[in-house]
Amino acid sequence: MDEKTRIYEYWLAGISSLSDRKKIWLQTEYKSAEAVYYIEETELCRLDILTEKDRKVLRDRRRETRKNMKETGEKLVQEGIWFLTCFDERYPKRLKKIEDPPYALYGKGRLPDEESLSAAIVGARGCTVYGERLALEYGKILAQNGVAVISGLARGIDGAGQRGALNGGGYTCGVLGCGVDICYPREHIGLYMDIQKAGGLVSEFPPGRKPFSSNFPRRNRIISGLADVVLVMEARKKSGSLITADLALEQGKDVYALPGPVNSPLSEGCNLLIRQGAGILLSPEDLLKELGIQNKRLGKKSDKNEIMLESPENIVYSCLGLYPEGMDQLAAETGLAIPELLRTLVSLQMKGLVTEVSRNYYVKTCCD
Amino acid sequence: MAFGMVMSAAVQGLHVEMIHVEADVSNGLPMFHMVGYLSSEVKEASERVRTAIRNTGIQIPARKVVVNLAPATMRKKGSSFDLPIALAVLAALDLIPGQALEGTAVVGELGLDGRVQKVSGVLPVAAAVKEAGIRRLILPVENMAEGALTEGIEVLGAETLEQICGYLNGKEQLFFSRKEGKPEEKERFPIDFQEIRGQEMVRRAAEVAVAGGHNLLMVGPPGSGKSMIARRIPTILPPLSRGESMEITKIYSVLGLVDQEHPLKTERPFREVHHTVSRAALIGGGMIPVPGEISLAHGGVLFLDELAEFPKPVLESLRQPLEEKRIRLSRRHGNYEFPADFMLVAAMNPCACGNYPDPERCRCLPHQIQQYLGKVSQPFLDRMDLCVEVSRVSYDSLCMKSESFQIPENSETIRERICRAREIQSSRYQGETGIGSGNGFHLTNASMGIRQLEHFCRLGKEEECLMQQAYATLHLTARTYHKVLKVARTIADLEESEVVREPHLMEAIGYRGLDKKYWSR
Repeated sequence: MDEKTRIYEYWLAGISSLSDRKKIWLQTEYKSAEAVYYIEETELCRLDILTEKDRKVLRDRRRETRKNMKETGEKLVQEGIWFLTCFDERYPKRLKKIEDPPYALYGKGRLPDEESLSAAIVGARGCTVYGERLALEYGKILAQNGVAVISGLARGIDGAGQRGALNGGGYTCGVLGCGVDICYPREHIGLYMDIQKAGGLVSEFPPGRKPFSSNFPRRNRIISGLADVVLVMEARKKSGSLITADLALEQGKDVYALPGPVNSPLSEGCNLLIRQGAGILLSPEDLLKELGIQNKRLGKKSDKNEIMLESPENIVYSCLGLYPEGMDQLAAETGLAIPELLRTLVSLQMKGLVTEVSRNYYVKTCCD
Repeated sequence: MAFGMVMSAAVQGLHVEMIHVEADVSNGLPMFHMVGYLSSEVKEASERVRTAIRNTGIQIPARKVVVNLAPATMRKKGSSFDLPIALAVLAALDLIPGQALEGTAVVGELGLDGRVQKVSGVLPVAAAVKEAGIRRLILPVENMAEGALTEGIEVLGAETLEQICGYLNGKEQLFFSRKEGKPEEKERFPIDFQEIRGQEMVRRAAEVAVAGGHNLLMVGPPGSGKSMIARRIPTILPPLSRGESMEITKIYSVLGLVDQEHPLKTERPFREVHHTVSRAALIGGGMIPVPGEISLAHGGVLFLDELAEFPKPVLESLRQPLEEKRIRLSRRHGNYEFPADFMLVAAMNPCACGNYPDPERCRCLPHQIQQYLGKVSQPFLDRMDLCVEVSRVSYDSLCMKSESFQIPENSETIRERICRAREIQSSRYQGETGIGSGNGFHLTNASMGIRQLEHFCRLGKEEECLMQQAYATLHLTARTYHKVLKVARTIADLEESEVVREPHLMEAIGYRGLDKKYWSR
């Protein structure tokens, strides 16, 4: 498609108050965005699908000159942002199948491979060390086995899953709730830059759109839409991650949840999903088997427990897990006096086996 | 004779200047004129002095009276010049013999009825009087006990101006200070460390901190007992030496905070400061600066509860005194230096809701936690030698239900260990000088300099290897490295070990200061 007709698509995609469904209907009906732009007034009034408000928006936006529209296109090219509508060949086939596909996609980097499997890793922003560690691990092992990791670049689980995928040298796709030229949250700028190089960033919102909170529930349908399976690592009882899981189920995708302690509020959502029949994430290897993939890394996994530990260290190490444990708890469990316990923990820390997540709260360092 | 002169003294910061109060009576228009760079409260003295003299039954003749306070270049403040002015005038009028005032210094405020009222700063004045070679000090009877702490001068207390006149004319007696009796052994504190249930970690950290004079930061959820522990720290503080007591009492004297019944401070001060404190109140201030809370905590403990709520400029102003163990305030007319060798104890929550890292209670996002911690700057956190978590107390240990429950140690037991560790330190640092020493104060492990550190914390091969490893894996900085060594020295002292060994270092590393960067994941 040449740039001349393309600019009308930029125009149509830029009308944010018109729903995707109506945009797609209009373009299907009139064959091209250009034709939509030139719909005559009398005809516009006859279209039942449009409300009075929609008509007004269309009329108003038609005042945009072609020069303006062209500039929008040039800007996209300048910033290295690609643009697709759902009428394009390259538009992800998985997205076409969902209930309410976005009319247009903006992006940087590559789109996920149509042939290979993809998995969404989603979860709470304020996650625990447990969720974060496992998101990292799942992201890494899936990516190493050629599974595309789809997520939302958010704080917590999302970011960890994508970072894991990059660590594994695989592909990951970040679906943003703002324009692709904006990095939100700001502290993920490193991840944002790395994903541009090794993976792809996608958004249905035109560049420059701020991360309004209303954008995020909408973008969740794209996350689940781009994925073949959805993995929920940690979620509270009422959370965005459960919305994603619901959307995935509506779209006919498999949902897997990571089980957690029944008293952890951050695992409540996951455990609820399992109760409702979601798949259980036992290990990345187990998931790969379910997805029908031969694990390339099988047998390589080393168990750090095998490092020879002196006996108090052994006792303390065995009391630790992926949930932070405080000194008093550990003292009660191990029966060690505080000075000795502290010494042991420092020594374990220096061996790299234990991490202090907050002052005097310790977790096992994950074997990754 | 138409001229009279009395010695008095003016307190400037903690420093005392001897003042000559001169009076001259001459023919001329009747007036009472005062010169000598006086602040308004000193100028007002003329009215008080004239009325007090009249009410004592002495008629001031209608002549020209000029009073001068020398040296005239120094600004004089306060009400302690009333009495010397009155005596100088009376001497000039030949109502008291001038030679009776020789070798005598006088301080005191006058009431309109001639009563002598108490003043502040008597202890440093008495010390300065002794140093100036003056043998006698007349002061308000209420300040007598305080003045008498200085040995080697005659301290006399007066109730009224009339009484002093009688004394100087050889007719009456003034009050002699009785030698202070030994203060009776009362129960020292109504609180005790025994009352703290559980919290083994913090108990230990508090012991180590007090033993070496280290700064202690407690982080924990609300209601876990941070303040409770901090308020019990005075019960385990080592006793003061006579020299230290005098040094501390001087500061309290300048601010008029001395208990006249038991003037000498025998307990180490514990100053709790609310987070609305102003910078001047904390570090000292004023046109002629007076000591602030950090100087009042000299030799003792300064406790800052809810550290994150303190305004940043106030906290940052503590950084330099924490290093230098004193505060220097510069004013246009001069510099003032106050001692501020205190042990800082601070308490704060780990996040805005206070419950991090408990996922059941805390819903703060990582960046919110960072934001909360951001209220305290990293350089400030670096100055905290020990940092411990105070966790929520379980019901079992609170109500002593646990099977393994043992009655916790009481303060006296802990204090004995601390005293022993302090004795080891003071004999070790005998003759060593540094920023924290002098004026009766010895160096402690916390205040030793790099030179002493290299000498007294020399590590063996294994220990050095350990520190090298820790430096790399635990992201230590040069400052935290030194702090770890100092704390390890204290732990070794508590165990009465000559050299710092691996276990001491390990434990010290466990208490090391917070590094926000590595705080949450």
